[in-house]
Amino acid sequence: MKTLLVAEFREGKLRVKYSQLIAFAQQQGSEASMFLVGSPGDLPQFNGPLYLADVAKYGEYNPSVHKQLLLDVIAKEQPDQIVFHHSSYGWDLAPRIAVALKAAQIAEVVAVEEGLPVVPVCNAKLRRKIKPTTAQTVLTLQAGAFGLEDDPVGTPTVVAIDADAAGKVQCTGYEAAKIEGVDLTKSEIIVSAGRGVGKPENVAMVQALAKALGGEYGASRPVVDAGWVEHNRQVGTTGSTVTPKLYVACGISGAIQHLAGMKKSEFIVAVNTDKDAPIGEVANVLVVADLKQFLPVLTEKLNAL
Amino acid sequence: MNILICIKQVPDMESKFKINGEGNWYDRADLAWRMNEYDEYAVEQAVRLKEQVKDADLTVLCIGPDQVTETMKKALAMGCDRGVHIADADSYKREPIEIASMIAGFAKDKNFDVIFTGMQSQDRGSAQVGVMVAELLGIAAVTTIVGFAYDNGTINVKRELEGGSKALVTTTTPVVLTCQLGLNTPRYPTLPNIMKAKKKELLTLAADAGSVGSRQETAAFYFPEKKGGGIVLEGDAAELADKLIHLLKEKTGVLA
Amino acid sequence: MEFTREIYWNVGHGFTTLAPMYGLLLVALAVFALGFLKRIKVYRLGQPLDRTDQRGERIKHMLENVLLQTKVARVPGAGTAHSLFFWSFVVLFIGTTLIVAQADFTDLLFNVKFLKGTFYQLFSLTLDLAGLVAVVMLGALLTRRYLIRPEGLVTKTDDALMHGLLFAILLTGFLIEGARMAVTEMGTPLAGWSPVGLAVAKMLGGLDEAGLRSLHVGLWWLHLVLALGFIAVIPYSKFRHIVTTSANAFLADRGPTGKLTTVNLEDETIEKFGASELSDLRWKDIFDADACTLCKRCQDRCPAFNTGKPLSPMQLVNQIGEVAFANPQANLIETIGRDAIWACTTCRACQDICPASIEHVNKIIELRRNLVLMEGEFPGEEVMAAMEQTEVNGNPLGMGYASRGDWAEALGVKPLADDPEVDVLYFVGCYASFDKRNIAVAKSFVKLCQAAGVKIGILGKEEKCCGEPMRKMGNEYLYQTLAMETVELIKGYGVKKIVATCPHCFNTLNKDYRDFDFEVEVVPHAVFLEQLVASGQLALKPEAFACTYHDSCYLGRHNDIYDAPRALIRAAGGRISEMAQNRDQAFCCSAGGGRIMAEENIGERINVKRVEMAIATGVEQLLSNCPFCLTMFEDGVKGANAEEQLRPKDIAEILAERV
Repeated sequence: MKTLLVAEFREGKLRVKYSQLIAFAQQQGSEASMFLVGSPGDLPQFNGPLYLADVAKYGEYNPSVHKQLLLDVIAKEQPDQIVFHHSSYGWDLAPRIAVALKAAQIAEVVAVEEGLPVVPVCNAKLRRKIKPTTAQTVLTLQAGAFGLEDDPVGTPTVVAIDADAAGKVQCTGYEAAKIEGVDLTKSEIIVSAGRGVGKPENVAMVQALAKALGGEYGASRPVVDAGWVEHNRQVGTTGSTVTPKLYVACGISGAIQHLAGMKKSEFIVAVNTDKDAPIGEVANVLVVADLKQFLPVLTEKLNAL
Repeated sequence: MNILICIKQVPDMESKFKINGEGNWYDRADLAWRMNEYDEYAVEQAVRLKEQVKDADLTVLCIGPDQVTETMKKALAMGCDRGVHIADADSYKREPIEIASMIAGFAKDKNFDVIFTGMQSQDRGSAQVGVMVAELLGIAAVTTIVGFAYDNGTINVKRELEGGSKALVTTTTPVVLTCQLGLNTPRYPTLPNIMKAKKKELLTLAADAGSVGSRQETAAFYFPEKKGGGIVLEGDAAELADKLIHLLKEKTGVLA
Repeated sequence: MEFTREIYWNVGHGFTTLAPMYGLLLVALAVFALGFLKRIKVYRLGQPLDRTDQRGERIKHMLENVLLQTKVARVPGAGTAHSLFFWSFVVLFIGTTLIVAQADFTDLLFNVKFLKGTFYQLFSLTLDLAGLVAVVMLGALLTRRYLIRPEGLVTKTDDALMHGLLFAILLTGFLIEGARMAVTEMGTPLAGWSPVGLAVAKMLGGLDEAGLRSLHVGLWWLHLVLALGFIAVIPYSKFRHIVTTSANAFLADRGPTGKLTTVNLEDETIEKFGASELSDLRWKDIFDADACTLCKRCQDRCPAFNTGKPLSPMQLVNQIGEVAFANPQANLIETIGRDAIWACTTCRACQDICPASIEHVNKIIELRRNLVLMEGEFPGEEVMAAMEQTEVNGNPLGMGYASRGDWAEALGVKPLADDPEVDVLYFVGCYASFDKRNIAVAKSFVKLCQAAGVKIGILGKEEKCCGEPMRKMGNEYLYQTLAMETVELIKGYGVKKIVATCPHCFNTLNKDYRDFDFEVEVVPHAVFLEQLVASGQLALKPEAFACTYHDSCYLGRHNDIYDAPRALIRAAGGRISEMAQNRDQAFCCSAGGGRIMAEENIGERINVKRVEMAIATGVEQLLSNCPFCLTMFEDGVKGANAEEQLRPKDIAEILAERV
């Protein structure tokens, strides 16, 4: 089986998560080649052919041009599967390729079971295993679903490619992520403080854990009411309704308004001394512990990773 | 200006899902239905564009069983001018390319300047239909927009990228734009508009996926093993921390 | 000698007196009438509304309110002073009228005198003392307003005019009397029947008769001009409340208390919903502004005002008045401000205490209706989300509708769809269906019913929100959609009696739903349980405990149910330490008026303030009867750092612990 991996280059840099594509190919035991519109000076650690178009010439986001470049490579390489990240680059480009190839496209693959890709349905509440019926398939992989134990190593065999194509869509620049003001609805990881933190000084422990996880900190209404955390960080129906990948509820018993505002999170960890607190009903993991002892230990271990 | 908005009716994600008899999708019983959240942003942006250019005609299109017209009424109440319902009781089985073909089949001779739709649906979540419609129609497409400005045929959008930055993208009509959450604040329909919506044209067409054949099959449809399944961890703090880190690595992508 | 006096003494009773006097009276009355005619024109800018039905009841209510000062006297201090001043002023007015009646009518035309003998003695004494009381009360009110200056009391030039004019009238009255008595009554037995007049007469003792006479005649005319001036100035000053506030007692809303007007959504000719301009309001809403005396009682009790939010019911009513009389085209929503409009919890504390029968809440609802139905505006996105969730899942929490009845499965309580043969339908409400804390209350209630041998059923997944929070937030359309569905559903099951553990559901089903041809009996759980206990059907094992009790706004002020819950608490062995603000003066929990769906991001937290009042009683349990209150207090004890000190509970829970 031959797999063509589509790596990404953005804002002047190779996107490092290409290792997840390699992990996928390795897991399949598939022969892999890679496609990249990138820079010769910033190449992936990859042993195999790398079809490289110069980003200086073709631009970082130029769908119809990238499509043509990729189709040319596919025509030459004849891969069985073309694999993208399920990302703003991948989900934009993959359907264009699928339409052109008349190939099945399977989006946001989270696993491969019995040789068939599995995708989430309804916010990951359900799963669907898909059997493509076309010779070629186009796949996009969910971020983090596949990973290598160690950093990838290797040197690609660069094959420079060119195409004669033009597009009507033009990327004119980037707008940096806003740092002023927090918007928890956009956060992928949230660590929230509830009344169980005991006193305002302990909010710092929650902040430290959030930082260690690379996320934002939030709070339940009583903590905001008490003035320990600013209002725009309140999670719940009367604050922000959030859907992060990971939600860590520290000392939150789980009043209905809070639960309704966070229970759609993909993975919920609750740290609470009370085993029977309502938060336990929505939590994937309930850590029964005094958070004043537990949080610093956890934070330290995470920082050491 | 001629604008098409493609919407989908989806179950509320809070519903109790069950698997259907065929074992290929969820059962329709006991579900609460609503407009796909992403599509609400699409409808809102189209209505705002009409408010800006004044002279525009908004067609909202939805594929599915008769029940979807309830959701279409909301789009009409938000400000769409007419509705096109492609009646298809089997729409839940259709793969994205089939849905895209139906839309393209309807749109091909209508000269739509802009086609708005959600970047994905909440249930199937393939994020394919919008781009495929554009490819089938041979027009441009920009996905995941979180900002939109129109000026005399030129469209400037912002694309949401991973990590919080945004790409500034310029294009021209005709174009398909797929909308991400946060693009705008979808309006709550006013009562006079709800009343007016009841009288707006709502055309029902028969489903026709054209010559596009099936490209994939559902091999299995099931509930995932509970990620944590309410795992309760007790013990010493250091031990707990190790266990939790292990679980996070295993069950989530956040430590990757 | 016969006790009497010569009326028009020293002034003369001829044409030269009567002509200018009655001439001036006519002028005063004309100015008075003109003033009100102009104001009536402004009232008529509002929408029509019939407030002349139930006349007997209305007149009775007006007489009670005006003559007995029932509502004014509810607040001791200023209220007492006003009542006493009012009564003495009425006495003086009647006295003056009697004098005129005798001198210019009965005596003049029929030669009949009645101000004589013992009657005159008493007449003289009564008027003299009334004058004294009036002066003292006026002095007290003056001291309060200008020296004590209570916080929030608005003092304008109008107030100076009122105090000045009334003082001048009373003072000139006594001086006239004194001057007359100094000449005619000194040393007579009659003098003692006018003790104040006598004292004044003695003070004037230094003047000779000619001086007294010229002083008398001068003051007489001055007094006349002042009194007629008073009449003339009524419509143009705060004095107008004498007329408008009294009239408003007649025009008052006759209830049911807190029931909102149901908008006819079928009527396709209606193009505008709610109020954004003066002409969208009803004439009574404009009239209310004229009836307001700025007594600030509403403001003193408003939970929003008292926690730093930009809503003062008094100010809102007066802003409508200002727009009406100065700038009727102005946008009311901009004038009043959105934050003020959204801040109301519809707790009715303002309307309940208002001595002027003003209807504050419906004005706010009308403004909200305009914002929601015409503009699609809400106080925040979280409220819009709650509305959308209710449309999709029938509850503002966004919980999947199909799991609504799950809590009852293990208790043997079935949905009517499975078993419609029940004694009562338990209308559970959204919070007791989905919130773990309130599910505990629902379970307690079920336990009590089962102990009493009452078979209850629920609607289960067919139940939807009653629509109350949405309606109070202005979303009449969503409310009516929910209401009509629920009415149809319940009628379809042939239910005879409904019990609700949520006073908001109770109030809505029992009052608002009546507009949809809904006649089923609805009772709140506190009343239902109290009847079971009183009849012996529900036996309790009392166990002593101390607690305080919070009157929810919708059981208390909206339904006057204060005693049943207290009786239940006592039956369970409870000793209630009342909070300072209890019963009809209870302070809201913050969650009424749809605020349960909204962020409270201005000022202090209302729920924390109420919890602090409960803490001040020193007891460890805060009992209530409402899921919204309970939810707010659970948060409030945390906000007040009092989780260890105070446990909020529903009455049903306390009882269920004792069966």
